[in-house]
Amino acid sequence: MATTSQPPIRLTSHKNFVYRLVFSTLTGRTVHISQIRPSSPTNPGLAPHEISFLRLLESVTNGSQMEISYTGTILVYKPGLITGSSAGAGSSSGGVVRHEIPAGCNRGVSYFLLPLCLLAPFSKAPIKVLFTGPGVITSSTPTGDMSVDSVRTAILPLFNQFGIFNNIELRVLKRSNPGPNGRGGGGEVQFVFGHQVRLPKTLHLMNAGKIKRIRGVAYSVGVSASNNARMIDVARGVLNPLVPDTYIFSDVSSAPLVPANDRNNPSAKKKIGLGFGLSLVAESSTGCLFSADVASPPSGGQPPEDIGKQCAYQLLETISKGGCVPSAAFPIMIGLMTMGSEDVGRLQVGRDVVGDESAIQLARDLVKFGAPGWGLRDASFGEEKTGDIVVSVVGRGIGNVGRKVA
Amino acid sequence: MIGKRKRDTSVVSKSKKDKKDQAREESPTATESSAQDIFRKFFEAQFEPLEAQKNGATQDESDYGSSRDSEGLEDSGSESEWSGLDGEEEDDDENRPVEVVDYTAPSIKADALMDKRARKAFMSAKPPSSATELTSTTDHAKKGADEDDDKDTETMNLKNDLALQRLLKESHLLDSASDLAPTGKNRHKALDLRMQELGAKKSLYHQKNMPSSMRKGIKAKATSKEDKRRREARENGIILEKPAPKTNISSGRRERGVGGPSIGKFAGGTLNLSQRDIAQVQSARRGRGKGRGRGRGRGRGGR
Repeated sequence: MATTSQPPIRLTSHKNFVYRLVFSTLTGRTVHISQIRPSSPTNPGLAPHEISFLRLLESVTNGSQMEISYTGTILVYKPGLITGSSAGAGSSSGGVVRHEIPAGCNRGVSYFLLPLCLLAPFSKAPIKVLFTGPGVITSSTPTGDMSVDSVRTAILPLFNQFGIFNNIELRVLKRSNPGPNGRGGGGEVQFVFGHQVRLPKTLHLMNAGKIKRIRGVAYSVGVSASNNARMIDVARGVLNPLVPDTYIFSDVSSAPLVPANDRNNPSAKKKIGLGFGLSLVAESSTGCLFSADVASPPSGGQPPEDIGKQCAYQLLETISKGGCVPSAAFPIMIGLMTMGSEDVGRLQVGRDVVGDESAIQLARDLVKFGAPGWGLRDASFGEEKTGDIVVSVVGRGIGNVGRKVA
Repeated sequence: MIGKRKRDTSVVSKSKKDKKDQAREESPTATESSAQDIFRKFFEAQFEPLEAQKNGATQDESDYGSSRDSEGLEDSGSESEWSGLDGEEEDDDENRPVEVVDYTAPSIKADALMDKRARKAFMSAKPPSSATELTSTTDHAKKGADEDDDKDTETMNLKNDLALQRLLKESHLLDSASDLAPTGKNRHKALDLRMQELGAKKSLYHQKNMPSSMRKGIKAKATSKEDKRRREARENGIILEKPAPKTNISSGRRERGVGGPSIGKFAGGTLNLSQRDIAQVQSARRGRGKGRGRGRGRGRGGR
């Protein structure tokens, strides 16, 4: 392949792991990531969720190779073509890739979903993945992942602005909060991304507009539904005076069962992932989305009122940062803009969003992958400055290699 | 008024002396007076404040708080009516009920009834789009009300619409006729038009065979007419529609018979392959398309 002639891109540390691999796959450059948690005495090297993500990458691509060193602190990833889940190759019946997440995983399923969303438009065939296994956490987690509901209601609609909107589905078959110690869960999520494009449209998103509505989902898994009502009550108490069009839907489900691994009784099952949480999404008049997510901690001991209030305030904080895009959606937007046609796209974001550590890490990584740097300037509304920053991104025009017509 | 007040204060002082006994006795009068007070307030809210009534009711202001009561007590002993009046005026200002807005108890009752469609739209597997939620309740409610009316008018509208469409399309036939409904020869022509609209291949009046010179003449006339129209429009500065693109009948691949060779030309018992045919066969074997695609990808990637 063409990529073999180029030297691998050398990166260090475990930070921004998933997006590095995604950009490697999209650009077709080999990456060499070293010093992955080298100083951790107990768990050096790649964590279970990172290994699981590598497996997921392997199943949606064809011909990717990865080598992991003995200690797991060095990874070489040679990407293949993004084939999606065509029937036969790595997928079970009906062309659905079945991805099992191990029990030790402490990240939410959105950890896998967000990078997969970024890969999916550039796939050759539609991507259909079923996340199952004893490690699927659909709620938000203490490790900072958003809930599945927020992915569906706040991230997936963003693709519409790039001209990607058909046949996108994210179905929560079973809900689960994080299990004991924040590890494991028994959820089940089906993800379908059926709109593949050659190149995403160039984006000019400069007007954040005003917040016109707030929607949300309150979920409780294996606990009383009154928790939902209490969360909703408090959250609405905070938000209703600000935005009258506030509705929060309630979703109650029983706790998922996972195999208990009991030697005496091999068929034994245990309940896992009890808890509740709230996901809020604010939509502006120009279609910008801001989300907030809070779930009950795995150790418990927090009343639903606190969760509701915390989530409402978190949403307000996210909105107060300004710009058109919250930091949660920033990598996806920038990623799509970078992969877009060779044209300058503009995106207005809050100063805190672009000054965030992860955003800067993303910028540095993108430069390593050969993307031109971002242009930054102060945003102004008419004469006065708004305090936001306009990020100009030149697309690389790579787009979908699999869709390239000869 | 002052007398009243004094009596009242004395009552209050009594109550201070032995509360337990007094409380029992006082309670009926207190409730009575408070009921009066409520009525008075209600009346005052609707109309003007009542002077005469106030005299009777002033002492009941004490209901608002024990602190006021005690003040009244202290005042009554030594000070004159002035202070009492002052107190009263303050009462008017201060005792207006403080408006308390409780944000922690929003009325969730209303949206317990929130329509299921919105819930379905939001909670489905699809990412919610902003457009879908806009058209939720209003048209739904309306539909039930005047559904019957709608049906009648709908059919009438359809009928009229059809008639109008026909009239517009066939109006050129009616130049000579006096009636709006085409008759005779015009009726046949109108029918022919309608049949063509419904998918008939050719007009009934299409003349199949004629001398070639005549056909050429017809065509030449048509083109010259069109040319003239366009030229005149251009000279007068009128913008016309763009000329319809010429359809090249011969350019498309002709429908071949079944069982013929898929490539080349079979003539005189031999299969003749042109240079192009040979190139096509060879390229297909080598997978030309793939090779080129990869080549281009490499070029871009290296940039």
